[in-house]
Amino acid sequence: MARILIVDDDTDLIEGQKAFLEKSGYVIETALSVEEGIEKARAKAPDIIIADLMMEHYDSGFVFCKKVRDLPGLGKVPIIMQTAAPRKVGFTFEAGAAPGREWMKVDEVLTKPVPLEHLLGKIEQYLSGSKHNA
Amino acid sequence: MPETRPAASDQIPAMAEPAAPQRESIRILVIDDEEGMREGMRRVLERRGFSVRTARDGETALRLLEELPADVALVDLKMPGIDGFKVTEHITRRFAGRTVVVIVSALATVEAAVEVTQHGAFDFLVKPFTPEDLVQVANRAAQQWRLIRERERYLSELASERNMSHQMIASMHEGVIVLNIRKEPVLMNPRAEHFLGTHFRDGITLPDLFPDLEVQAAIDAVVDESKGRPETRVLQLALGDAEAGGAAAPAVTGAWEGMLSVSVSPLMLDGERGGAIVILTDVTESWKAEQDKNRFVSMVAHELKSPLSAIINYINVILTGMFDDNPAKVREMLERCKVRGEALLDLVRDLLYINSREVGKVERSIEDLDLKAAISSQLEFFKVQTEKRRIVAALDAPLERYPVRADRGDMDRIFMNLISNGIKYNRDRGSLTVRIADAGEAWEITVRDTGIGLSEAELSRIFHEFYRVKSPKTSGIAGTGLGLATVKRVLGEYNGRITVHSKPDAGSAFTVIFPKG
Repeated sequence: MARILIVDDDTDLIEGQKAFLEKSGYVIETALSVEEGIEKARAKAPDIIIADLMMEHYDSGFVFCKKVRDLPGLGKVPIIMQTAAPRKVGFTFEAGAAPGREWMKVDEVLTKPVPLEHLLGKIEQYLSGSKHNA
Repeated sequence: MPETRPAASDQIPAMAEPAAPQRESIRILVIDDEEGMREGMRRVLERRGFSVRTARDGETALRLLEELPADVALVDLKMPGIDGFKVTEHITRRFAGRTVVVIVSALATVEAAVEVTQHGAFDFLVKPFTPEDLVQVANRAAQQWRLIRERERYLSELASERNMSHQMIASMHEGVIVLNIRKEPVLMNPRAEHFLGTHFRDGITLPDLFPDLEVQAAIDAVVDESKGRPETRVLQLALGDAEAGGAAAPAVTGAWEGMLSVSVSPLMLDGERGGAIVILTDVTESWKAEQDKNRFVSMVAHELKSPLSAIINYINVILTGMFDDNPAKVREMLERCKVRGEALLDLVRDLLYINSREVGKVERSIEDLDLKAAISSQLEFFKVQTEKRRIVAALDAPLERYPVRADRGDMDRIFMNLISNGIKYNRDRGSLTVRIADAGEAWEITVRDTGIGLSEAELSRIFHEFYRVKSPKTSGIAGTGLGLATVKRVLGEYNGRITVHSKPDAGSAFTVIFPKG
């Protein structure tokens, strides 16, 4: 069974997604902060990570992703970022462009609330490694 | 036009001087060594409304003129002592533009006439003459005097006007740059020099002043546009650190930094395109306010979307039907939806409150209030919550009353927020103590809890709008991130203030200083 790590400072969002994804057949790990997320990533070696962008700071999610990718064995773990941030909150990001993706170390940026089917679809896509063919 | 102009301060009294010869009679000095002639002329001229003085010789005339200048001098040419030529010369030198000289003489030759005019005389009256001849010449001289005075007045007005517009431009709070038709800067006031960090010099070019291509394009458009009357263009120019991307700014030490509004207007000279006037206005403050507002709106959008996302997410999960066989789980999720929905409502309420305070819609009604009563009622209001969590709440206020002058709604908002925080971030079975003490001019109210406390980093941001301490310990606690920011803002309106002391895991103490009523 594939293991998903959800990092978000909103317990309710985590609870909802956890309930759904567990029912969909995944093992879910959760973390409420960057620090906890790094710990869980290191300890549980997730197959995919879903991370929030604005946690302690407006860019916590980016910091988290960078740190995770530096962990041994996690350099290639798919990371889906989800955020409620409007597209222009003092910074701009362009996940669609290759340089942006390279810098952010993120595979996908989704806007909250992410429809469950959409989230599931993305997870399956990245887990099957078919993203390059998609 | 005089080469050197007196300063405007010298000019303004001159302008104010009453120079209306029509209303007062023209002052004539008759200089003649024959008494009969002197008195005869006086009679004729006085009858015509002139004010007449007489002198029997040149010396007397010059002395009289020193005492009181005349508008017109009728000078007999042939006199003992200083002759008429000398007197004329002296008058035209000493009283240039103030006294019109008419020579009176029996020598009616062209040569003589030319000579006297060369000496500065205006006209020539040949002896013998009739009273009509005299009056005619006197009137002509008076007319000349008026013309001279008017011209003088006009010139001095013109000079002071030019001077004044120069000084006006120099004193303007806005930067002013005038460009000629070739877009060369021809005038730059000190404020513009200050903004652009450049001194005006001959040969300075437009790109020297504005390396910014957008500004150059706007100026090009205004000056070069071929059809119709070009319109004013306005754009914003960031200088120094205010510049987006900062690094592009030239690192000039002491250079002005901020946001300028650059308005480029056509300079029309006699209906023809003559160049452009560039006005620079410092709009840094309003620009910053706008930035803050935009940031605030973005934050609000995020803060509204977060709880909504959580709620919609729960509902979506429920709607999948996955938990139809687990009503307890569904109920749990719905409970959380309710909590988040209510928090959202609180947020909207706080936002509306802040907005109404900002636009001044809410009139504060200041009345005599008692802090003790206000705080007691808030503690009473939160009794259910304190009891539920077994938190011991106490009010330590030995005096009968603690009078303040304030709006009741503001008082409630301040202490509702502090007490509510003291409960939310407390531990079960902890304590919440509110203490009111006398601090001289003000009351000192301390709300102390035994909760999770705050780290140094958290303390520094606790009064910022939308800042919420986010940690596993606070993750289930609903809040708007506006409570303390609002408290601080409201206290500011009463010249009050709030400080906080805290230790992680030991608790926090918020101290409010509020002026006595």
